[in-house]
Amino acid sequence: MRIHLSNAIARNATVVAVGVKLQDSSIPAKDGSPVSFKRYIAAGEGTLHSDLIKKLGDDYSKALVEADPEVDFETVGRSIEGTTSVLMDKAGNPLYCAPEVFEIIYGVDGKETERRTPIDVAPNINEDVPIKWTGRLIPRADLVRKFAIKRTMQFKHVDGVTFDFLHAIAKELEEKDSVMLLASGVDGKSPLVFQTNGTPYRGFLEGRTAGEGFLLLLHLSNMELKRPT
Amino acid sequence: MAKTISVSLNEEKAVFGFKPIDRSALYGRRRRVAFDVEGNECSKASLLSDGSLLLQSGMTAQGYFLGDGTWVPQSELSAISVDGKPLDLHPSTVGVEVPLTEVAPQEALSISFSNTYLLEAEEFSPKLKEALDSGKIFSFPFNVKEDYNVETGLLVGNESGYFALIGNKVDYQVCTLEQVATVSEDSSDSSNDDLDFEMF
Repeated sequence: MRIHLSNAIARNATVVAVGVKLQDSSIPAKDGSPVSFKRYIAAGEGTLHSDLIKKLGDDYSKALVEADPEVDFETVGRSIEGTTSVLMDKAGNPLYCAPEVFEIIYGVDGKETERRTPIDVAPNINEDVPIKWTGRLIPRADLVRKFAIKRTMQFKHVDGVTFDFLHAIAKELEEKDSVMLLASGVDGKSPLVFQTNGTPYRGFLEGRTAGEGFLLLLHLSNMELKRPT
Repeated sequence: MAKTISVSLNEEKAVFGFKPIDRSALYGRRRRVAFDVEGNECSKASLLSDGSLLLQSGMTAQGYFLGDGTWVPQSELSAISVDGKPLDLHPSTVGVEVPLTEVAPQEALSISFSNTYLLEAEEFSPKLKEALDSGKIFSFPFNVKEDYNVETGLLVGNESGYFALIGNKVDYQVCTLEQVATVSEDSSDSSNDDLDFEMF
């Protein structure tokens, strides 16, 4: 994805950020042959327990032995590739008109504290106003000790100019052995939102250099390391 | 008996009870709920991409399959490395004393974290406590259950308590001038939506 990023002196550029992916260290297998994970259909329409009770009564065990009313031979075992979410009403029928949507807020005790009409939150990482440095430098060690990092993204250059731009940021932060707290929005205080209604994250920019190369990482956190009250 | 993380550093030992924590325990959570015209909460189902079947709760299952479509029970699964070599099964480290290694912050930031545990000390060497309180970070091998992949745990402390951060090491690829990125090098966010919070 593209991210509009500024540096310490408010010069900005649009660069690419990619999610850091783990390399597979192990592959599930049987007797040395790799296996693949699949979702499949286990029961067809009208063959769930509740359906069988309606059709055959509460005690339908004999019917299971004598025939196979619970198996839909046309569909069971078929692998599921792609699906679309559908909302169902209380009776289990698809909804044919738009539902009323509420946002329910729960407290730390799990109890509902508020119910409100949701407001859509737009992504803010590639807007006219770039992501800014807040000026809050945090030693790397404190980042590890105080925040739970949920994701890490890596910045990449899109041309020679942005290579110099990102390399200079990485070098500056590496020399300070610190990360810079980033923020979005005109006020430069908002958390980073990567997609519509996505999780808001605090972003911490970490830089490393290696020879002529650089590594510029965006560590994302939405949780402090602290004891629940 | 409660599960423990047991660690040692130069004969200095510590034993911690541990429990997972997530942000809902710290800040609460929010979720969007759809209601039908009668005010009942809607349930979700999945329509197959060809529109042939509506999958409701209880109609799907998942599992591992060989290339010829043969289902493989969980009990018969093993693992191989990327280059096809059989891997050893590593025992659980829960309740087993494992060595601590001090790591630099940069090394700690080269881990992709998956779980966070709040620790409660049952036995805590004063020297180890002092080291954690001074800001040192230690790593240890961690396996919550017998597995083919041993994860890395970080032991850290702050004003609020002591924590174990669990994840796997990442090998970052350094960017060089020649490796220009394209926008197709994309990533998506599959995280759950939840509340904003005041961290500062």
